[in-house]
Amino acid sequence: MEATAISVRNLVKTYGDPGRELLVLDRISFDVATSSLVTIVGPSGSGKSTLLNVLAGLEPYKSGNVEIYSSAGGSKLGYVFQSSRLLPWLSIEDNLMFVRPQHVDKARHKERTQRYLKMVGLKNVGQKYPHQLSGGMQQRVGIARSLCVEPAVLLMDEPFSHLDELTAEQMRAELLQIWQATQRTIIFITHDLQEAVQLGDRLIMLDYQGHIFEDIKIDLPRPREFTDRAFVDFYADVVRRFHQMQAKRAEELTDSET
Amino acid sequence: MSLVADTSVPASQPTWAGQLAESLRRFFLHRRWITFIVIGVVWQVTAMTANIGLFPTPITVIATSWQYVITGLFFSELGISMLRIILGFSAALLIGLIVGILMGSRRFWDEFFQDFVILGLSLPGLIYALLCVMVFGIGLTAPVMAIILATYPFVAVNIREGVKAIDKELLDMSRVYTVDRWRLVRQLILPSLLPFILAAIRVGFTVAWKVSVLTEVFGGDSGIGYQIRVDFASFKMRGVLGWGILFGMVMLAIEYGLLVPAEQHFARWRAKVKEVI
Repeated sequence: MEATAISVRNLVKTYGDPGRELLVLDRISFDVATSSLVTIVGPSGSGKSTLLNVLAGLEPYKSGNVEIYSSAGGSKLGYVFQSSRLLPWLSIEDNLMFVRPQHVDKARHKERTQRYLKMVGLKNVGQKYPHQLSGGMQQRVGIARSLCVEPAVLLMDEPFSHLDELTAEQMRAELLQIWQATQRTIIFITHDLQEAVQLGDRLIMLDYQGHIFEDIKIDLPRPREFTDRAFVDFYADVVRRFHQMQAKRAEELTDSET
Repeated sequence: MSLVADTSVPASQPTWAGQLAESLRRFFLHRRWITFIVIGVVWQVTAMTANIGLFPTPITVIATSWQYVITGLFFSELGISMLRIILGFSAALLIGLIVGILMGSRRFWDEFFQDFVILGLSLPGLIYALLCVMVFGIGLTAPVMAIILATYPFVAVNIREGVKAIDKELLDMSRVYTVDRWRLVRQLILPSLLPFILAAIRVGFTVAWKVSVLTEVFGGDSGIGYQIRVDFASFKMRGVLGWGILFGMVMLAIEYGLLVPAEQHFARWRAKVKEVI
C-alpha cells in the first residue's frame, strides 16, 4: 500500500454567521498518496481555493478532520500562491531565508535556497529584488521558496494563472521535472481543465455545491500533448464530465426558480 | 541553462553618507532660493519705504540672528529646548506607536481610542501648553508633558494607517511557513511600517517644536520660547523675527540632514527598482 501524505475526512467549511451560513465545502473526503501530483479543478466559487487554505491552516473549518503526515525533520507545508507574495524590500536570497524553519540551521537552509534556485533556473538572482524580475521569474522564486522548506506537501493555488500562456506552458514542463526530481507530494489547484489533465496523475473535480463531483486517475504517459491521441480523448472525456456537472447545476437552478 | 536575461546587479549600494550628501546637494541647488530671494527683496523694499518705525528690514533681522549665533545664546537655548523636545517627542513616539498599533490591529482599541485621538489632533497646542504650565509650573515637566499630549495623536493616526496597510497576503504567507514572531516583526512588519513611522516623525516633530516653544513662552525661564518672550516684552521685533528665522533653519536642517536621507536610505530597494525601470 502507498504511504499517505494527506488525509481529509468529512471536511465541512462554511462562511458567515451561525444560522445564516453559506456551505462552501460539504463533507469532503480524500487521501493523497505520497509523491503524487493531484490537480483539483472546479468552477469559480466551487471552494477550491478555500479547500487549499483550510489545508494550509489559514482558515478554520467547521467539522471533519485534516491530517498531514510529515517526515521527521521536514516541514509540513510549502505553498505557491497565485501571485508570488515575495517581500519587496528583501533580496531574493533573503526572501528564501525568511521562511527558514526553526529546526534548520542557517547554513543548511542557505545551501537549500541555492540548490532550489538553481533547480528553477535562477542561479544568479540571489542579490536582486523581486521587482527586478519578470512575473514568471517571481513565480519561479515562489516555487523555490516552497521547495526549500522541503515540505511533506506542496500546495499550489493557480500558480501560473497570471502568466502569459507561453511562459505558463514552459513553467508546467519545469514543474513536472521538479516534481519528478524531488518526489514531492503536490496538490495543484486550477480552473484550467487542460492544465489539470496535463499535470496531474489524479484529478479531483469539485462542483458548485462543494462536493467532489469526480475523482479520476490519470494514467497517461508524459509529456502529454495534443498530438497524442490518448491524451486528446482523455481530455475530451474530462471536458464532457465538466459540462455534465454544469448542466446539472443549470437544471437545479431552473428547478429552484419554478 | 539560464532563463535569466539580465543578471547584472547595480554596482553601488547607496550609503548613508552618500544619501546625506545627495540630500544637501538637492537642498542647495534648488529653485526654492529664487523664492527666498524674491521674498527678501520685497520685504527689504517694503520695510525701507513704508517707514513703519518698528518693522525691521530682513538685513537687520538676519544680523540679529547672527548676533544670537555668535554670542552662543542660540546654541545654549537651542540645547535646552532640544532636550525638552527630544524627551517629550521620544515618549510621544513610543506612546503613539503603541496606541497606533493597538488601533490598527484590534477593532476594540480602535473604537476605544478614536475619539481621544481626534480630540487630541484638533485641540490647539496652546491649550496643552497653558494647561501643563498651570499644572506642572516652571521646569522640565511642563514642556515635556505638553509635547507628549499634543504630539502622540499625530503619531498614532499615522501608525494606525500603517498597520492597516500591512499586506495581509504576506502575513498569510508567513503563517503558512510558520515564520517565528521576531523574524516576522523585523522583516515584514517593521519594513511595512517604516514609511508611516517616518511620516509620523516628520509631522510629530514639527508639532513637538511648536508646543515646546509655546510652553516656554508662557512658563519657561529658559529655551528658545523664553527668549522670544524676552524680545517680545521689550517690543524688539527684529529679535522675535530673528528667532523665527533660526527656528526655521533648524527645522530645515533636520528635514534635509536627517529625515530625507533616512527616508532614502530605508527606501533604497525602491531606488534600485527605479534604476532598472
